[in-house]
Amino acid sequence: MGRLLSRLAGMAAALCLAHAAPAHDFDLSIDLRAVSVSGQPSYLHGGGGKLRFDDEHEGLQLGSLRAGYRGDLTDTLRLTAEAFAWGDGDVNALDLTELFLTWRPVPTSRWRSETKLGAFYPAISLEHRMRGWRTPYSLSASAVNTWIGEEIRTIGLEYNLDWLGQLGNSPFSVGVTAAAYGWNDPAGIILALRGWSLHDRQTTLFGRVGEWRRGIVDGRTLFYDDIDGRAGYYAGLNVNYSGALEIRALHYDNRGNPAAPAPAIDDNAWKTEFNSVGVRWTPDERWTLIWQRLQGRTEVGAQLPPNRWLFDTEFLLASFNYSRHRLTARYDDFRVNQAVSYFGSLNRDRGHAVTVAYGFRFNEHWSAMAESLLIDSMLRSRRWIGAPQQATERQLQVALRFEL
Amino acid sequence: MPPDMHRRSALLAATVTACTLLAWSGRPIAAAELSVTVHAPDGSAISGAVVAVEPAQPAAKPRTAARASMDQRELKFVPNVLIVRTGTAVDFPNSDQVRHQVYSFSAPKPFQLSLYAGRAHPPVVFDRPGLITLGCNIHDRMIGYIYVTDSPWFGATGRDGSLRLRELPAGDYTVRVWHPRLAEVSAQLAQRVTLGNGAAVSSFRLARPLRPAMRSGGAEKSWEDY
Repeated sequence: MGRLLSRLAGMAAALCLAHAAPAHDFDLSIDLRAVSVSGQPSYLHGGGGKLRFDDEHEGLQLGSLRAGYRGDLTDTLRLTAEAFAWGDGDVNALDLTELFLTWRPVPTSRWRSETKLGAFYPAISLEHRMRGWRTPYSLSASAVNTWIGEEIRTIGLEYNLDWLGQLGNSPFSVGVTAAAYGWNDPAGIILALRGWSLHDRQTTLFGRVGEWRRGIVDGRTLFYDDIDGRAGYYAGLNVNYSGALEIRALHYDNRGNPAAPAPAIDDNAWKTEFNSVGVRWTPDERWTLIWQRLQGRTEVGAQLPPNRWLFDTEFLLASFNYSRHRLTARYDDFRVNQAVSYFGSLNRDRGHAVTVAYGFRFNEHWSAMAESLLIDSMLRSRRWIGAPQQATERQLQVALRFEL
Repeated sequence: MPPDMHRRSALLAATVTACTLLAWSGRPIAAAELSVTVHAPDGSAISGAVVAVEPAQPAAKPRTAARASMDQRELKFVPNVLIVRTGTAVDFPNSDQVRHQVYSFSAPKPFQLSLYAGRAHPPVVFDRPGLITLGCNIHDRMIGYIYVTDSPWFGATGRDGSLRLRELPAGDYTVRVWHPRLAEVSAQLAQRVTLGNGAAVSSFRLARPLRPAMRSGGAEKSWEDY
């Protein structure tokens, strides 16, 4: 009997060992902040400030609460879900940022295809490398990637074809990507009104940005909405050299019809198109250098020509990782120039930002990061709410992070 | 070179010696000893180069099938290069907490191991000589190699760029050298040697420096690239 039991126990242990990593994988992140700010009231709270936090929202704050799920439904089909709580009174306290299926058959040659279906980020950011589309380099993302998190989400179908040269005798791997998507007609509105910003708050799939009918970004827009019934597209290319160099380029066009009205939000569809390019270089395992640039335009309105804004931004980031320490510095430069306005007054955003962040990893669960962010900007739309157009805003944050 | 590479090279060298002894125990001991050295164009030693010394007359097949292991640890294949004799059964244990999906589309042995953790799959028998490149369909950065040779005399160069093989019977041989980061125009480097009773040296100098090692792109293992 004893022998049988021990044999059964042995078999059970072997079975457990064989399935040590589950097919369903949940994880959780908590990010608590101590924040000190000097600047205008945040655009999130009816102001003209570009920062996520302001004088009335500082001290101890919730950075984010995040829940992630990865489920292997079959050998080649994976379901990914990401949900965030930002703690700032959005419509839903906890809401999805991403929900998608990935089908990736095992390659039988150097060509490998992958299909994604659902709501996810296009591969633009070279900063966001952690689960939940989070950046390990700093607390606030660059201007370009902050905007991607605010207004750009693929809700549709993406196809990727990769040439896995690195599995042959080549240092290169090359991939192309193409997607068709809908539910992205309001994209561009934040950029046109508030200009660029730097923070880590991703707009959730059913959430809103700003307070209801207050300030420059007035909380009316449900960002992932389809107004005109026209699908958008993007197409991109990525090249990897020896794991040390990653280059990405993408053309994006939501093909919005600027004349198509959406009475529910008292707005039309926004036609937004841009080109994005980026390079990430890791000359050795300690240093990472990232440069990204994005340039485009957005249009809205039934009259011809429609209201039109031209925008561009770029940043350079250098990060040094040593043991448990990571030190990052980033310089962002950004502008929005309105070229056509029905109302005569042209909005304009011109500025730059300097970010310095230091992170320390205590163990695999706990880490801390301190960040100093300075944004110097001239934003004409601040006049609408009686605020000075010129602002030098400073934000100091210390985050304590827990990952499970 | 990281310390685990030293260990790995030492381990490979030890395996080779053991294989050689095993293959030739009970036979008259031949006198030939072959040193193979591999150097970069600038003269620096190349460690971790695969060396396979193939006899003109095919060597006797081993009596029992050999067993080897290609582990997966911290999102890497360990060892990065496994050299085995044709017919070896190779285990693919997954020592990580995440699941892997190991595959190869290399001509000598295309195969795939469905998504797994631990020791879910029986060993894979490598029954044809050649180079097999391994990938993981979940983690593209994971790349490993299995070099399968018919010869019982093989190994990897050590820190000094050399590998010494003992007790080879006199005769004609082809010495083949390979490295995962080889940038030579010809895919394989080979030399013919005739071994008598003394010691012989086979020296290789690459025409081009090795390509830079594959990097993780500064990523930590918990990251998941977007």
